[in-house]
Amino acid sequence: MNSFLTIIKLDYLQRTRSYAFLITLCATLAIAYTFVPEPNANYSTIRIADYVGYYNSAWFGYVTAIMTSIFLSLIGFYLVNSGIKTDSNTRVGQIVAATRIKNFSYLFSKVLSNFLLLLTIAAVVFIMSIILFFLYNDGYPFKLFQFIKPYAVITIPALFIISVLAVISEMFLEKYSIVQNIGFFVFFSVLMVFSPKTENQFSLDIFGSKIVMYQLEETVREITNTDKDTDLSIGYVLGNTKKPDKFLFEGIDFSTSFLLSRFVWMALGILLLFLVSVLFHRFDVKERGYAKISKVKTINQSLIKNVDLSRLPSAKVNYSMFPLLKTEILLLLRKGKKWLWIINLIGVVLLAVLPLITAHQMVLPILWFLQVSRLSVLSNKETISNVHYFSFTAFKPLRRLLVSQLFSGIILMLFLALPLIVRLGLLTNITAVTSILLGSLFITSLAVCLGILSKGKKLFEVLFFMITYANINGIPFADYFGGFEHSNFYLIVLTLFVLLFCSVIFIKRKHELNN
Amino acid sequence: MKLEIQNVSKKYSKDKYGLKDFSIHIEKGILGLLGPNGAGKSTLLKMIATVNKPTNGIISLNKNNIVKDANYMRKQLGFLPQDFGVYPNLNAYEFLEYMAAMKGVGGKNLRPRITQLLEGLNLLDAAKKQIGSYSGGMKQRVGIAQVLLNNPKIVIFDEPTVGLDPEERVRFRNLISDLANNCIVILSSHIVSDIDTIADKVAIMKSGTLLSYGNQEEIINQVTDKVFETTIAKEDLTAFKITQIVVSTSRKNNQLVVRYIADVPVENSIKKEGNLEDAYLYLTKIN
Repeated sequence: MNSFLTIIKLDYLQRTRSYAFLITLCATLAIAYTFVPEPNANYSTIRIADYVGYYNSAWFGYVTAIMTSIFLSLIGFYLVNSGIKTDSNTRVGQIVAATRIKNFSYLFSKVLSNFLLLLTIAAVVFIMSIILFFLYNDGYPFKLFQFIKPYAVITIPALFIISVLAVISEMFLEKYSIVQNIGFFVFFSVLMVFSPKTENQFSLDIFGSKIVMYQLEETVREITNTDKDTDLSIGYVLGNTKKPDKFLFEGIDFSTSFLLSRFVWMALGILLLFLVSVLFHRFDVKERGYAKISKVKTINQSLIKNVDLSRLPSAKVNYSMFPLLKTEILLLLRKGKKWLWIINLIGVVLLAVLPLITAHQMVLPILWFLQVSRLSVLSNKETISNVHYFSFTAFKPLRRLLVSQLFSGIILMLFLALPLIVRLGLLTNITAVTSILLGSLFITSLAVCLGILSKGKKLFEVLFFMITYANINGIPFADYFGGFEHSNFYLIVLTLFVLLFCSVIFIKRKHELNN
Repeated sequence: MKLEIQNVSKKYSKDKYGLKDFSIHIEKGILGLLGPNGAGKSTLLKMIATVNKPTNGIISLNKNNIVKDANYMRKQLGFLPQDFGVYPNLNAYEFLEYMAAMKGVGGKNLRPRITQLLEGLNLLDAAKKQIGSYSGGMKQRVGIAQVLLNNPKIVIFDEPTVGLDPEERVRFRNLISDLANNCIVILSSHIVSDIDTIADKVAIMKSGTLLSYGNQEEIINQVTDKVFETTIAKEDLTAFKITQIVVSTSRKNNQLVVRYIADVPVENSIKKEGNLEDAYLYLTKIN
């Protein structure tokens, strides 16, 4: 038992002692600050028709718990679904495989480590919700239990189930991160659409937030004396100029069956993990691919021959960037599974045939997002592949190598967007074409910037996912490719962002090279 | 061709040094860097290779301060790190062309040069296969090939024989000897036999400092009249090790033949001729 707890503790420490996690916590603090809007803010997070609750303990506790349950379930999955992969990449997995630890124990330790990680983030939101209460409350007393209860009943079980799902999906789809990412997004979307109305149906809600939403709607229906569906909105809705009416929300008395269902969901998660643990590869992955490499191995049984240095053709100095760019593009194209290119090609065809607005607003951001695993390693694949000693001793690594990495990303994005650019160009829609060009610069420079700053790929992957999620939902401020915004001012802002990212990239990489 | 390292230190924290006030002058030929793990060999080599910068001190090549002008070194550098990776999705040709581009090497001779290197390193048959499918030894040979792409004037090998089998080691040593005719080769290892057959000069390091530097004879002279051999009972070995510097032991007739270093020999000892391994152990133990 002690060794099991030690594994969890060390795994948790290893994952939290990273620059990326620190940035994640800072971002969480910033986002949590917006969960309950300041009284005069022109946006809303949870609003039922024209109503929001009085700013009392229950409203702060339940709103932030629901927001955490939903957003951290979505983003949290992407944050934690690399625990097994890390063990695989660092070869720690091979050591683990040679120990007496059982498959289930190992996988369960990963679940608990994921869970602790997500709990840490949730704790930050929890603390922020209390701070917000003292900043904005409408004169109601502070009741700690109204904060603890929704987190305990709604958020914590949801995060536990996400932790289990992350481990199971990683176990089966370790090499197919894009399938994991898309698969979970579809799963999440389906769950969000699910709309329970009865006590029994509420128990089927994994995230546990529907019961609260239903109660909020019911309360507003009672106030407004209507049986019609009230317009409940969750998420960031901008431009709410009309000041909302207020109603008193005093929390929910959860039924015993609902409380029990939350435990049942967690128990089902553990049971599912137990059942699938017999299929865990236990890091025996190379052997499974052995047939593929055996041919090369047999060819090369012989040794170094004699290298006659005097007969080697002389090497010429050539500082052209083109060979670097060529290989960078080659590395981008070869990354990931070949069959995923079929999806890319379908996306390119859709850009050519669908109505312009759909192609620009919907297909382009999704198609670009599908390149997330390529973009996220643009600037740190050297470190990931342990080639950095060669890269950092390259001749003029900033002016040649880094620039070629940036260009390769931009070229890929523009190549994928080409049908749309051509169509818009034929219509002489210069603003839209410029927006797409700037969009490719924006997203590539953001990828490189976050890669260099966080020394990893996760931060960009999660942020790009959030941006794309916002794009699909038509949220204007996340529009980096000009699908919704068409003003010149907008183009200037986008350009300034690109310049900012590029400045950070060059300053930070220069600092890395000097140290 | 002259590489000068003057009072170089690398400080990691307040009291932790990777290298402390290290000075050495290196000219054409092979310098063997010997030292136990943690001696600072890799730290020194990374600074010479411009991967890291020293906290204090100057490293200059032909009077050019490479701490300030790293590109001067990079143009003529061949570096094989101790632990390096490759891009698994590229084949050997593509990877080496990429490395050449990074070094600023190209032209029409590049492809034939790579072909000859691959042939010499016996990788030509697998050259069009993705490197991800290569064995450890094959990847090491790809690493050796990239060192030779740009006709380097300074060659740095950090523990290069890891992953090579004994016969490959011998051929690799021959290759290094050929290379040293025209350039400075710095070769680090904690295995004395990798160094003693080919190094013109040897530097012995420990805890970030230079213990000794000179020709092999000069280093070995430090243990002249200090190397002995004696036979002891097996159960006496632990006590013997407390009082003497033991170089090696071998079994003979249910007893142990012990080679050791001492100023005053124990009874029934035979004086032996010292070698580089004796000197290395002596210097690293007494300091």
